[in-house]
Parts: sequence; structure tokens; C-alpha cells
Amino acid sequence: MLIAIDLHSGVPAYRQLVDQIRLQVAGGRLRPGDEIPSTRALSAELGLNPMTISRAYALLEDEGVLERRPGLSLVVRARSGATSAAARGAQLTRALRPLASVARQLGISGEQAGETLRRLVDEDER
Amino acid sequence: MGELIVETSGLTKEFGEVTALRDVSIALSGPSIIGLIGRNASGKTTLLRHIVGLQLPTRGQARTFGVPTRRLGHEQLARIGVVPQLPNFIGWMSVREQLRYLSAFYPRWDLDRQSFLLDLLDLDARSEVGGLSAGNAQKVAIVAALCRHPDLILLDEPVSMLDPIVRDSFLKLLLDLVQEDNATIVISSHVLHDIESTVDWIVCLDAGTLAANAALDDLKDQYAEWRVLARSRDLPARFEGPFVLRHTVVNPRAARLIVRAAEADRLAFQQTHDVDVEVAPLNLQGLFPILVDSRRH
Repeated sequence: MLIAIDLHSGVPAYRQLVDQIRLQVAGGRLRPGDEIPSTRALSAELGLNPMTISRAYALLEDEGVLERRPGLSLVVRARSGATSAAARGAQLTRALRPLASVARQLGISGEQAGETLRRLVDEDER
Repeated sequence: MGELIVETSGLTKEFGEVTALRDVSIALSGPSIIGLIGRNASGKTTLLRHIVGLQLPTRGQARTFGVPTRRLGHEQLARIGVVPQLPNFIGWMSVREQLRYLSAFYPRWDLDRQSFLLDLLDLDARSEVGGLSAGNAQKVAIVAALCRHPDLILLDEPVSMLDPIVRDSFLKLLLDLVQEDNATIVISSHVLHDIESTVDWIVCLDAGTLAANAALDDLKDQYAEWRVLARSRDLPARFEGPFVLRHTVVNPRAARLIVRAAEADRLAFQQTHDVDVEVAPLNLQGLFPILVDSRRH
């Protein structure tokens, strides 16, 4: 699991952590059953307060993204295709919202903006 | 959260005409790393001294480990490690002799940790304590405070004196202590950038009054700067709303607001005023003047 946290950003560190793990799970880079580093290991790696990491893990457990195994290790939970598709959609919407605002300011229609996005997504595919 | 470590209620401290602390009520649980922030002379050091019983309240109460601080005994004091801004040592002793002398008072003194810390902080154990620079004297105080595995560590402006490389390893060390010893650490500082990565809780004092007492991430969740851009018509002269804390009109089409608001507030705000809102998060440096200011209004 590769995580990068900007500790001096105004975005709460726990939220950066939650977002990145969610993204990696939704995108399939973290698979069901994959083990998540312990609070201690991640704290040492990122120089991040362990309380912050516990908070992020607890939130992801509540959401059903992670689950705690009897042996106390935390793993990615298996989820249905529908939830995962919904999660991916929600993530994309969040990421696109600021761009929608830029498009409006530039006077670019939804259709034009959509076309640009389609082109960029397909370009990357190739 | 775990055990309640420090608790003050209505804590007020007067020095003659001067009120150093005014009606401060906080409850700190551990393990945790608490950033005690405030401008110069805002009462940070006075609060730390009350926690360990070096000063007693004029009014109100202070309890540490559940014991009123005027009755803290050896059992509780041995669980507290204090690093003052200007530590006092026996000047003619070497660093090693000074530490050996102190270790006699503490049954939990850890010699392995002592040599580890001397190394980490780049201290020469042979130098005479009296001849040390202020920064190095503070490092000796850090070693002395941490070798006894305290449950509560009070650090008064420790990072300002440390050079950048030592400062980094020192802050990482605090993260280890929280996990290894389940310690609760209170670290006072006005160098906000340094402690931002390490602390999870903020206590902010302003002229002796409590201006904030909350999880750092909660503060970052609540406060933000909104850059408001008109869509069709010009912006109103001012924006009302319980969540608008500051308001700067840049021009008729653009304004800058500091808000304490939720995502739902922003969506409603965009609709009502027909504007686009860019949310710029605030880091600790950006939050600090707002915390101090919002108390005044």
C-alpha cells in the first residue's frame, strides 16, 4: 500500500488517508483480503500521529471498506460489484466537482466539458 | 479515548493585577500528542506549570491523573516528565554524571533509552552541563525526562531550540513514545509548522483564555476559506450567515470568506447567491489567527 500524506495541507490527515485507501480499494489496487499495515508501521512510515491513523481505520471499518480479522490484522473487505461501482462513482463526482466550477467560469457547456473529459480518459487508456 | 490524564475546571491564575489564566476548563485523555499553542505570554507555560503542581490555581481546579495538583505525591510526579524552557542542572557535572544522579530518583530509568537518546539528539555525554548552549541544555532535559518512561510528558517550547535535523528525529521519537509507552504528550510551541505533523489535539490559549480545545483534524474539517465567484449578477455587499467569520470583498465579482461550515452549507450558499465557491482548506498556520480572532467577536 503506497500512501502519501501532505501533513501541512489544510485537508485533515485522517481524511487524506481515508480517501487514498478508498480510491485504491475502489480501483482494485487493494484487493479483498489484502492486509493493511498496522497503525504502528504506517505511523513510522509516514511520520503520522497514530491516533490519526486509528481514526481513519475506524472510519473505513464503519464504512465496510476494511474489516478486522480475529487475529487483529486489518484487511480489505470483499464487497459486491454494485457497492464498488457506487463507491467509484461517488469518488469521481467528488473529484470532478471543482472542475465543474472551472468549466462554468470559462463558460464551457456541460456537453463540451464532457467531451473533453471523454477524450482525456480515452487518451490515457491508450 | 482512554484514561483522563489532565483535567482543569474554571482554572484561573492571577499574579497581582495580571490574570495569566482565565477560567480554563480542559480535559485531556491519553494516549495523545497535544499541541499547546498561543502567542507569547498567552499562558502556555503557566498552564504547564499548573499541570505538574509547580503553580497552584487562584481559583478553580487542576487535576493530574485524577489527583488535585496541590496533592500530587511522588507516585504521580514520577509518572510525569517535564522539559522546561530553561532547565536547571548542577553545572560542574558532566552530562553523564548529571543523568546518573537523576536516575537514582526513578525506578523506571532506562539506560538503553538513555544511550539511544544521547545518540539521537547528538549529545556528547562527556561535556560539562554548565557549559552547554541553551539548545543542548534542553536536550539533556529531554533525555532526563524520557528515560524514566513517563506516562505524561510536558514539553515547553522544545522545538524552537533544536536544529532542523535533530528536530525531525525528535518529533518522530514522540510518535514512538505514544505507541511504546502509551504516553500522553503536551508540547507547547508557537512554531506551528513544526508541530502540525505530530499533534492530534490542539489546545489554543489567547491572553490566558481558552480559544480552542479540539482535535486538529476536526478544526481542519470545520474551518475553511471560501473563494466566492459571481456567476451572473454582482455579489452582495456582504454575506450574512452564522457560519461566515470573516469577509473580504475583492471586487464586485469576487470575495474571500472565512467560514465555519459544513458541505451542506456550501451547497445551499451557492444556490442562494448564485455563486461558485472554491473551498481552500486551512492548515494550522491558517487556522491559528482565526481561532484567536473568533474568540474576540
